[in-house]
Amino acid sequence: MPADRRPEPNPFVRRGPSRRGVLGLAALTGAGLLAGCARERPTSGLTAGSGGSGSPTLTAASPASPVRWPVLEGNAPIGAGLAPEKDATLQLYNYVDYINPDVIKSFEKKYKDTGVKVVVSTFNDTNESLAKIRAGGSPYDIYFPSYDQIGKLATAGLVRPLQHSYIPNITNVWPQFTDPWYDQGWQYTVPYVTYTTGIGWRSDRVNEDIGARANPYDVFWDPQYAGRLAVLDDYREVISMAILRAGGTDINTGDDAVLAKVREDLAAMAKATRPQVTITDYIAIPEGKLDISQAWSGDMIAAQGYLPKGTDASVLRYWFPADGKGMVNNDLMMILSGGKNPVLAHLFLDHLLDDEVAKENFTFVGYQPPLNSLDPSRLVADGYAPQGLAAATVLPSYFESGYRSLELTPAAEGKWQDTWTRFKAGA
Amino acid sequence: MSGTAPRDRRRGLLGVALTLPGAVWLAVFFLVPLYVVVSISTGTVDPVFRSVVPAWNPRDWSGDQFGYVLSRLTGPDGFFGPVMVRTVVYVLLAVAGCLAVAYPVAWFVARHSGRRRGLVLALIVAPFWISYMMRMLAWVNLLADDGLVNRLLGGAGLVADPVTFLSGRPTTVVLGLVYGYVPYMILPMYAALDRISPALLEAARDLGAGRFETFRRVVLPMSVPGVLAGLVLVALPMTGDYFTNDLLSASPSTAMLGNLINTSVANPSQAGQAGALVLVLVLAMAVPMLLYVRSSVRSDLAS
Repeated sequence: MPADRRPEPNPFVRRGPSRRGVLGLAALTGAGLLAGCARERPTSGLTAGSGGSGSPTLTAASPASPVRWPVLEGNAPIGAGLAPEKDATLQLYNYVDYINPDVIKSFEKKYKDTGVKVVVSTFNDTNESLAKIRAGGSPYDIYFPSYDQIGKLATAGLVRPLQHSYIPNITNVWPQFTDPWYDQGWQYTVPYVTYTTGIGWRSDRVNEDIGARANPYDVFWDPQYAGRLAVLDDYREVISMAILRAGGTDINTGDDAVLAKVREDLAAMAKATRPQVTITDYIAIPEGKLDISQAWSGDMIAAQGYLPKGTDASVLRYWFPADGKGMVNNDLMMILSGGKNPVLAHLFLDHLLDDEVAKENFTFVGYQPPLNSLDPSRLVADGYAPQGLAAATVLPSYFESGYRSLELTPAAEGKWQDTWTRFKAGA
Repeated sequence: MSGTAPRDRRRGLLGVALTLPGAVWLAVFFLVPLYVVVSISTGTVDPVFRSVVPAWNPRDWSGDQFGYVLSRLTGPDGFFGPVMVRTVVYVLLAVAGCLAVAYPVAWFVARHSGRRRGLVLALIVAPFWISYMMRMLAWVNLLADDGLVNRLLGGAGLVADPVTFLSGRPTTVVLGLVYGYVPYMILPMYAALDRISPALLEAARDLGAGRFETFRRVVLPMSVPGVLAGLVLVALPMTGDYFTNDLLSASPSTAMLGNLINTSVANPSQAGQAGALVLVLVLAMAVPMLLYVRSSVRSDLAS
């Protein structure tokens, strides 16, 4: 649902600079309209007519009302104990640089006798990916969605229910993700990575500890940083941040009064500090091109790889509320019905849930997998992150205390989009 | 008389044959996409995926998106209005800037470059060898707080603190537009100025006109078609430009119409709104285009 829910996550350490930024821009040139033209599969099993009255709408899952998604007829899980496909090409569909090539190689090596080859196709935002999956034609086996897409894909029968006997490693993940509210029965998804949304900066360029402010979000309204800061190019993140700053706690609201206040506050912010609206903070902050940015935790951990020569990673800072009352999220993996290699796809999911493989993946993408074996209190000690980024660690408890972007009702969605467009128009 | 008729018919057929490739090209790459945009902007939203369902059949067309766009242009919710005004102002300033740069350059190339004309023209065209985006990315690095420009300014003692060129400044965006589009202005102007016969200038001088009078009464009127072509060539793409802004500012405070469309396109359910905005833009730009076509047809007839 959010177009850029997430930047195409990135090279972590020791990688060439700015590749993602360039790719992202290239893709801006009209992917959206093209996606609109793709021959899209109608939402089958529903009376999804031309949007007339009485059309179905999706149930929105939330921790308070867990959802068990329907399994359409003819979309049963594969049988247990099947042999992996021979000489197959397993197709992954993912954000750019959101998986470590080394874990793909190790999978190919592990199943060498099947002759499997893994190829990764990439998308820039979920708008593009959903359109392409619906259009069919590309037999992707595995897709990496956020949890607000499950309902759409399951309702349209585009995702394959899991056969858990192939995925014993699923027990490695945090209990918060065991049989989760967004996919009761673990029918369709396994967890991939987690992240929080906070504020990132470089301590040698900003002469204050932003986290020590009474309300750290105020920094985006502080004129002394005019022209030096950025917010994420993501309507859910920015509007939610404004809601939290104003003392709200419901970041899925459709309340007109709340959103009117958001509009006012965002206009005031634009006037006070002229923030950039971008998702290149993971490069711009370490390179010193931006001083402060709203940031995803995984991007700040990945930012270590973009520091100029001679700048130590100790200058990177990330703030997230210590009490865990901030925005938290997680991404998932699922097997698409259109894929040709369901058995290998299950095995690949299991591979990525393996402790060692997941850690190796973490060192590349910067986004933390929710593994029991990866002790969050030891990420700094174990060298995954410098002390200044300790707050970028995602704790299991955040998924109790934090706020999660759920699927909005169509009415609320319209209001949020309107609020966002107004902000982006600079009016 | 009877002898000329078949020949005329043959010439007519030849004309059709010569027009055909162009007509097919336009139909496939202009009319069809335009129809797609219309269908998207008049379509509905899929209830589950919240993506746009294009209305291919004109009978299903809905004007909701246009209503939305129009309601946002004026009135209490008119937050598109300031963007339109900003776009027009930026484009006018940038076009004026292009004109100021391009006219002397084109004049120099046409009149004074002598044997090196080929080289000078090649140098003007050279930026086209590098993609527009790459050139803008180069500017981002040059204009950064620790970029070359700031280091030069600081080194020369002209500024104490680095100038934050890239922090949502309208001047940076306008100058970026001038830089990006100025070659499109130089070339048609050069073509127009080059066509002016030196004999005409000599005649003007012989008849007693000074340098300025010669320019005002001979060169300027005769260069009007080239200037108009240049204006249209740069103003139209500038109006829809969005990534000059994205790269050099990325701040809503300098958002232009192209950025607005881009924002809508990036949001799943808003492709229809984007399509409606595109059509508004197309209509708005058709006006100067038609004026240009009319004036060039007239000047062709006149000559």
